[in-house]
Amino acid sequence: MAKFVCTVCGFVYDEASGIPEAGIAPGTKWEDLPEDWVCPLCGAEKSEFEKQGGSVTANEEKPKPIMDTPSDMQELSPLELSVLCTNLARGCEKQYKPEETTLFKLLADYFKSASAPAENPNFDKLLELIDKDLKQGIPNANAIASDVKDRGALRALVWSEKVTRILKSLLTRYKKDGDAMLENTGVYVCTICGFIYIGDKLPEVCPVCKVPNWKFEKVEGRGL
Amino acid sequence: MAKKYAVRNIRLCTKDCLCLYVCPTGATDTENSIIDVEKCIGCGDCADACPSRAISMVPFDYPPQQQKTDEVIGALRALLRSKSQQESIAAGLPGKLAAAIEKSNHIMAEDIIREAGYMLPQSDNVQVFLRSLLDNNQTEGFPREAVERLIELLSKNMEDDKMSENNTLKNLMTAFTGEAEANRKYTAYAKKAEKEGKLNVAKLFRAAADAETLHALKHFEVAGKIGSTADNLMDGIKGETYEYKEMYPPFVKQAEAEGNKAAVMSFTFAMKAEEVHSKLYKDALENLDNTEEVFYYLCPVCGNIEKFRPDKCSICNVAGDKFIEY
Repeated sequence: MAKFVCTVCGFVYDEASGIPEAGIAPGTKWEDLPEDWVCPLCGAEKSEFEKQGGSVTANEEKPKPIMDTPSDMQELSPLELSVLCTNLARGCEKQYKPEETTLFKLLADYFKSASAPAENPNFDKLLELIDKDLKQGIPNANAIASDVKDRGALRALVWSEKVTRILKSLLTRYKKDGDAMLENTGVYVCTICGFIYIGDKLPEVCPVCKVPNWKFEKVEGRGL
Repeated sequence: MAKKYAVRNIRLCTKDCLCLYVCPTGATDTENSIIDVEKCIGCGDCADACPSRAISMVPFDYPPQQQKTDEVIGALRALLRSKSQQESIAAGLPGKLAAAIEKSNHIMAEDIIREAGYMLPQSDNVQVFLRSLLDNNQTEGFPREAVERLIELLSKNMEDDKMSENNTLKNLMTAFTGEAEANRKYTAYAKKAEKEGKLNVAKLFRAAADAETLHALKHFEVAGKIGSTADNLMDGIKGETYEYKEMYPPFVKQAEAEGNKAAVMSFTFAMKAEEVHSKLYKDALENLDNTEEVFYYLCPVCGNIEKFRPDKCSICNVAGDKFIEY
């Protein structure tokens, strides 16, 4: 009997115990779990689980950093500038500086309105970028940050990677199930790390960054 | 330790109101629940008393943020670009999930840029960023005033730094005065001990007096008060002139009125000697480049200084052979 660990939140599926309260009998093998089974804690797909004590696979090898950084030191786009400004607004809010917070938000709104909308947006494009982040962007940044032992950057990358995996799981499900997956259920975003929870019973703490769930924000639908 | 003030997190506050009881200045008792920074003296009593831990003590000045390497910044910026693109794509898609993904990417992007050198709003990076916005051409609707105000508000931190430097300067000069005073005091005590034949104590006083001189000289130097010799002469002239013209005359009068003859004499000798000193400083300043050796003779009684050995002191009448040559 083996155990499988969720790489996003650390939930452990133990074949020996199953999950009786969810109708999974003790002794249910991993491969016998339905393909659309997701982590009961964070909603990650089966593919995001790893066998506990499993051998290190090839793609877990430390990637070599790609030092093409100078070309990336480009000017920030208007949307990136809006990100910078909401980040600074957050920083001022945490320092209890209401005037600075309001001003940075104002500036962020300006940059957001100055940014051009994405051309011909679709879900496949999103999945494409997510894949690129998981295969290239995040491992590359991880390698560079570990080289110089930048713990802060590594922390942000751990959170980003986990949240990105969740987005991948959600988008994969959405492609299959469509809007049915969102019917009569709440959609929440963790305002600290960006983790998305779909369901009505929020976990006590965020499965990714462990912040208490009152920091989650409910997302309302929007017409487009 | 950095100066701090108390802030209350209203979400955590359970209205036990202990902070109202313990605050010595009433800073915590306000109609909008925001602790009054003007009144807060930073004692921390409210934060200690709060049963809900809703009050934190935050510093006025934050330490510099962690340095980031260009490589880390580059790799994080590449990721920022991707997350930002995803935010933009999700913003163009319908439905709740897309709305959540838009928000999620924005939050991840914020975290990434924070770690790429934009953690602290008061950092140099933010100042450079804000100033660059003013320098570049911006499209219509750019909130220029907001940016100018932010530069002003956030660089206040640096001004506060300067102010604390000023406080240190003040402290250095206070310490200098104290140490200089101690030096003269111990020298007087040493002389007294010598007269009483307590030679070991006298030695101790002399050593301690020298130690205070070391301290005083160091404080004075650190305070940046030592200029060029010409500057120092001018400062000497200023000081001596003030003493003989402004400081001593009323002192002498007061001592006369009180009938304190010893003080009258002490003040008068000093007043007259300071006038001489000031003239000698002026003379030295005018002949700064003169390399011909000059001798000075100090009267050991009143502090008069002459450029030749006199028959007797023009101020206190002491015999010329008592004068000390320099």
